[in-house]
Amino acid sequence: MDRLIEILEDIQPDVDYANCTNLIDGHFLSSLDIISLIAELEEEYDITVPAVEIVPANFNSVDAMRKMIERLQEDF
Amino acid sequence: MDLSFLLAGCGQTMTSFFVPTFLFLFLPGCILLYSIVPQKAKKYVLLIVSYVFYWLVSGPLILYLLLSTVSVFGFGLWLEKIQNRMKTALKALPKEERKAAKPAYIHEQRCVVALAVIIHIGFLLVIKYSGFLIGNLNGILSAFDSPVRFGVPQYLMPIGISFFSLQAVSYIVDVYHGLIPADHKFFRLALFMSFFPQIVEGPIVRYHQTAESLWNVKPIQYRNLTMGLQRLLYGMMKKVVVADRLNPLVENIFDKANQFDGGIIALGAVCYTIQLYMDFSGAMDAVVGIAEIFGVTMPENFERPFFSRTISEFWKRWHISLGAWFKDYIFYPITASKRMKNLTSSARKKIGNHFGPLLAGSIALFCVWFCNGLWHGAAWSFIFFGMYHFVLILLGNVISPAVKKVNTALHLRPESRGYRYMQMIRTTLLVVIGELFFRANGLSSGFRLFGRIFTTFSVTGLNSETLTKLGVDAQDLLIVGLTVLIVFAVSLMNEKGIRVRERLEKRPLVQRWVVLYALILYIVIFGAYGFGYIPVDPMYAQF
Repeated sequence: MDRLIEILEDIQPDVDYANCTNLIDGHFLSSLDIISLIAELEEEYDITVPAVEIVPANFNSVDAMRKMIERLQEDF
Repeated sequence: MDLSFLLAGCGQTMTSFFVPTFLFLFLPGCILLYSIVPQKAKKYVLLIVSYVFYWLVSGPLILYLLLSTVSVFGFGLWLEKIQNRMKTALKALPKEERKAAKPAYIHEQRCVVALAVIIHIGFLLVIKYSGFLIGNLNGILSAFDSPVRFGVPQYLMPIGISFFSLQAVSYIVDVYHGLIPADHKFFRLALFMSFFPQIVEGPIVRYHQTAESLWNVKPIQYRNLTMGLQRLLYGMMKKVVVADRLNPLVENIFDKANQFDGGIIALGAVCYTIQLYMDFSGAMDAVVGIAEIFGVTMPENFERPFFSRTISEFWKRWHISLGAWFKDYIFYPITASKRMKNLTSSARKKIGNHFGPLLAGSIALFCVWFCNGLWHGAAWSFIFFGMYHFVLILLGNVISPAVKKVNTALHLRPESRGYRYMQMIRTTLLVVIGELFFRANGLSSGFRLFGRIFTTFSVTGLNSETLTKLGVDAQDLLIVGLTVLIVFAVSLMNEKGIRVRERLEKRPLVQRWVVLYALILYIVIFGAYGFGYIPVDPMYAQF
């Protein structure tokens, strides 16, 4: 998961990713950051993030992102 | 009392919740009927009164709503059928073969979604935009001296079609994405599509937000009734005391701009922005309030937009449901498409984290704002309105790294009070400029008015003679000013986290009723109605 935090810090530094649980609702990540993040996640974890997954609940915390990545990796 | 509104399609004034026929006849009638029927029948009462309401305001055009609902219902079931077939087929396959088999079913579903979108949006496009397109085409032909002219079609536009068409599309797409199951109860879907408080001006709700609570309605409770009425009255105050009172002033300034100097035109732009906010957010207060009476929680469509620090934030607080619709069904689907993702990946490597996603983001943003402008109406001024906000938001994103550097160099703290106030004032000014073009009678008129603000500006133009020309007097301005202050104070408290309504609810009964009666008296004394006032249609109903 450290790699995920690295990716996030590369996109938007100065955020306490380990503890923040409102990355979207608290406006820490903008829609452009999300576009960047998705492109990076797809490359790094060999997944496809469909538009329907782009909801605050999936991106508000590192934990939520991890769960989404695992779910998409398992998805057939 | 004139009861001619009871004829089909003759109750158009009822599109406003604040006319006597709605307030003293239709709404109490609904509440009474709803209260006396058995629990099981309440949802059907809501459906029937919703259709009666639509029939009263639209007459035979009710057919559009009905056909739209039938179509959405059918498409939902069709999608579900394919999804079930897919699940059964994939289950029967070994895991390694599933990935290869899935795309065929997805493709089939996409075709169904595309057909549904073409029907619903296509229909909206034909009714709303064919006149505009053909008018422009004729203009081009005339410029090339061609004798060919096409007849401009005149369609009757069903009230609320821009709102319920978007709801229809969101339902289909959500079923396709598996976010909601297809509805097997036609009447439940019909109620979601037609619920009478929201059919005229929205908000554009998603199926999962209201369908279930509308179907499982509860008996009317004292708390819901009083809280709902309180919210309705607050909305009425905004609309009847401020928006309607400002109407003659705004109309006169925009329609007879040549008679006034730049200062008055600037005043007109500010007053129009206030009028639009009070009119639309007042109507939304009424929608939320009426729904609350029936125990249904409607999503909020406004969140104190004038406290926004950027244009981007403003549009997250103003007409929230429209912005959310564009974000979910246009912005993210475009940026999440394979081509855009590839573009973002390669651009990030070449031009960095900030500007990389901006390329794909700006293409999606352009589509969003082009659609947003067009959604408001078929005219170049609305397209300009959309493009104006597109440019402002894009510019905000492009210059944000430079702004950060300047702030650091000048030791400016973006979180300081002064900086935030400066941002709010700047955002409000940009919004007012946008609304000037939005309200102007055509794009060229908008540019002319904007230019006149600078070329003929004066602060001495506002005198008693000008006020007479504007159709208002000093008393009007005083009442509007006072009411705007009240709304501002309530908004400020809410912005600071003080929940005004909840606080009021905890006060003793006498105090609560005093507030309620004070609100009624305030509207009765200061409301713009009766002799000398022409009832003003809800401004967003025309979109």
